[in-house]
Amino acid sequence: MIEAPRSTGDDLLVLHTLRCIGFAALERVADVAGLQASEAESALIDLAVAGLVTHEPGDFGGWSLTGAGRAADAERIRDELDAAGARAAVTRSYEDFLVLNPELLDLCTAWQMRSADGFATPNDHTDPAYDARVMDRFADFHRRAEPVCDDLAAALPRFGRYRVRLARALTRAVSGAPQYLADDMESYHTVWFQLHEDLLVTLGIPRF
Amino acid sequence: MDWIRPLSERTGESADVLGGKGHGLLTLRRLGLPVPPGFVITTAACRAFLREGRLPEGLKAELAAAVSRLEAVTGRRLGGPGRPLAVSVRSGGGVSMPGMMNTVLNVGLTTGATAGLAAETGDERFALDSRRRLLSGFASAVPGSRPEVSDDATRQLEMAVGAVFSSWDTPRARTYRELHGIAHDLGTAVVVQAMVYGNRDGRSGSGVAFGRDPNTGENVPFGEVLFGRQGEDVVSGGSATRPLAELAQREPAVWAGLLEALDRIEGHYRDACHVEFTFEAGRLWLLQVRPGGLAGRAAVRVAVDLAEQGLIGRHEALLRILPHHLRHARTPRIEASGTLDLLTRGLGACPGVATGRVATTADRAARMAAAGPVVLVRPQTSPLDMHGLAAAAGVLTASGGPGSHAAVVARSMGKPAVVGASDLTVDAAAARVRAGGRTLPEGAFVTIDGTGGEVVAGSPRVVTAPADPHLHRLLEWADEVCGGGPGRDDAERLTAARAVLLKD
Repeated sequence: MIEAPRSTGDDLLVLHTLRCIGFAALERVADVAGLQASEAESALIDLAVAGLVTHEPGDFGGWSLTGAGRAADAERIRDELDAAGARAAVTRSYEDFLVLNPELLDLCTAWQMRSADGFATPNDHTDPAYDARVMDRFADFHRRAEPVCDDLAAALPRFGRYRVRLARALTRAVSGAPQYLADDMESYHTVWFQLHEDLLVTLGIPRF
Repeated sequence: MDWIRPLSERTGESADVLGGKGHGLLTLRRLGLPVPPGFVITTAACRAFLREGRLPEGLKAELAAAVSRLEAVTGRRLGGPGRPLAVSVRSGGGVSMPGMMNTVLNVGLTTGATAGLAAETGDERFALDSRRRLLSGFASAVPGSRPEVSDDATRQLEMAVGAVFSSWDTPRARTYRELHGIAHDLGTAVVVQAMVYGNRDGRSGSGVAFGRDPNTGENVPFGEVLFGRQGEDVVSGGSATRPLAELAQREPAVWAGLLEALDRIEGHYRDACHVEFTFEAGRLWLLQVRPGGLAGRAAVRVAVDLAEQGLIGRHEALLRILPHHLRHARTPRIEASGTLDLLTRGLGACPGVATGRVATTADRAARMAAAGPVVLVRPQTSPLDMHGLAAAAGVLTASGGPGSHAAVVARSMGKPAVVGASDLTVDAAAARVRAGGRTLPEGAFVTIDGTGGEVVAGSPRVVTAPADPHLHRLLEWADEVCGGGPGRDDAERLTAARAVLLKD
């Protein structure tokens, strides 16, 4: 019999967060994982002792996975998926994601580049009407992305964090910080990109 | 005949009705150029389909009649028996929406017709490859589902037409139209043509050919060709293409036909043009034509050259160049010269030139950047590459298009980027890259040009607009029109001349 989906433990959550975002400082790991900094740090130290993550000191320092950490994450995240009996549901959501993905990339491109008489030129953001139109399409896109995030969260609760982060990026963007569409480390595009990576890792699909 | 027009010289309607693709094919026909026989289903039929949710009244009967005529012209039968007719079913609206809509090739290749094609050609592999492309065409035309492909050829054609009509209304296409201010109620035309097979044999293939180099505007043919493949493989960027000029040796008749066609087409449109083409067993066919579409310095050079050739007047040259072309023209570019050590070419995704040492992983890029500029070279990028992208002076990827994650991220950071360099392989484990038949170790110097997509070994000279003789010439003409005057920049000189000309 299949158990009800459970929350992912802090250790795996932190390990997997690092797997999906790459090199990052403690604050960012904690924010992405949805943990207190102290909780994330405690998990990182445990993982470091086990040889799964490593820390580079200095102003631009941060945490990243070791080779062993990458292998351990692949195994544990696969086991979690199978233990929850969620492979079929996550696969379906991944297919839904793939339908949406090109459109999100179109939107990011439209935010950064404008087509003037058929030629792409950088969007210099001097046309508020155009920018508002793109923003509006992002909001419309998000309404269609939400059900996919909800399905994923129902299959595996840890995916719920993406809905929170995507919604937060959009809210920031429409409230005067448009860099949260495509030009920030916590932008809609970056979070979406990480969700893509997460789905590939979770389902064991190689990117290259 | 309400919904369908023959692809013949006598059809004289506008691109609003026939779509840009259909309209261009009629122009090619009138120029006496080789276009596979076929017909166009009008945008009105698409609008009716979208309104009613099914093929409009009478379209099926018209389709059957049009197919009969096509069978008579080609001496083939849709679905067989005997020599089978297969058709391509392609979208084409009045306004271009690149990559948004669907195409289904090899329609009519039922299991029986596939066997017929194998028997006719004596090449079962070719027939099965064509059938496979039909199935994958249907699968990608209806995303997220696995459509049952009918084994009845007529039904296949109706399904394909419906799938292309439906692709007008996908959420992605709607978003594209919202962003680009295109009305939702235009609909797409559908071009149905007898298949020509680029995957037929070693003397077949597909490609894209430009009458003038779209990167520089120079008056030399340019483009790419894929031997033994259908056109979708060229456009998708999934396969390594060869430079167009290789046709000159391998298929001299196709090459000569192509040059002649490009010449005639340019004379008609009085502009630089490019075509999509297929050749089957050594015979050339043109599948699409598009005039214009050049940007920046290439556009300036073409306008000036056309004026000096007498194809257009100087005033028209001035009117063709918009001030934003000059903004492009001021972007630094690698200087085109005979000594350029070109490794390969991809798609320019973020303008500008970056020179640096090759790094094949994000971690190494971040480390190496402390000692000087690096160019991050990846098969494609993932979120794990973000810190490497941040540290690099520029980014080069083997796959992906201008809307890929790598391109979006590079632009967000303002870094020159070249993506989709399909000839490039990255071996991160061995810390080396291969391109243009050569191997470069990590740490070797390369230069990328995010406008033209060039990837060059070493540190070539970089130029900006003032050295451009064509721009200089154009601006002289501008001053002749409006009297000139000191202290104005390029865009102001052009804008002043255009203002005078547009008033006349």
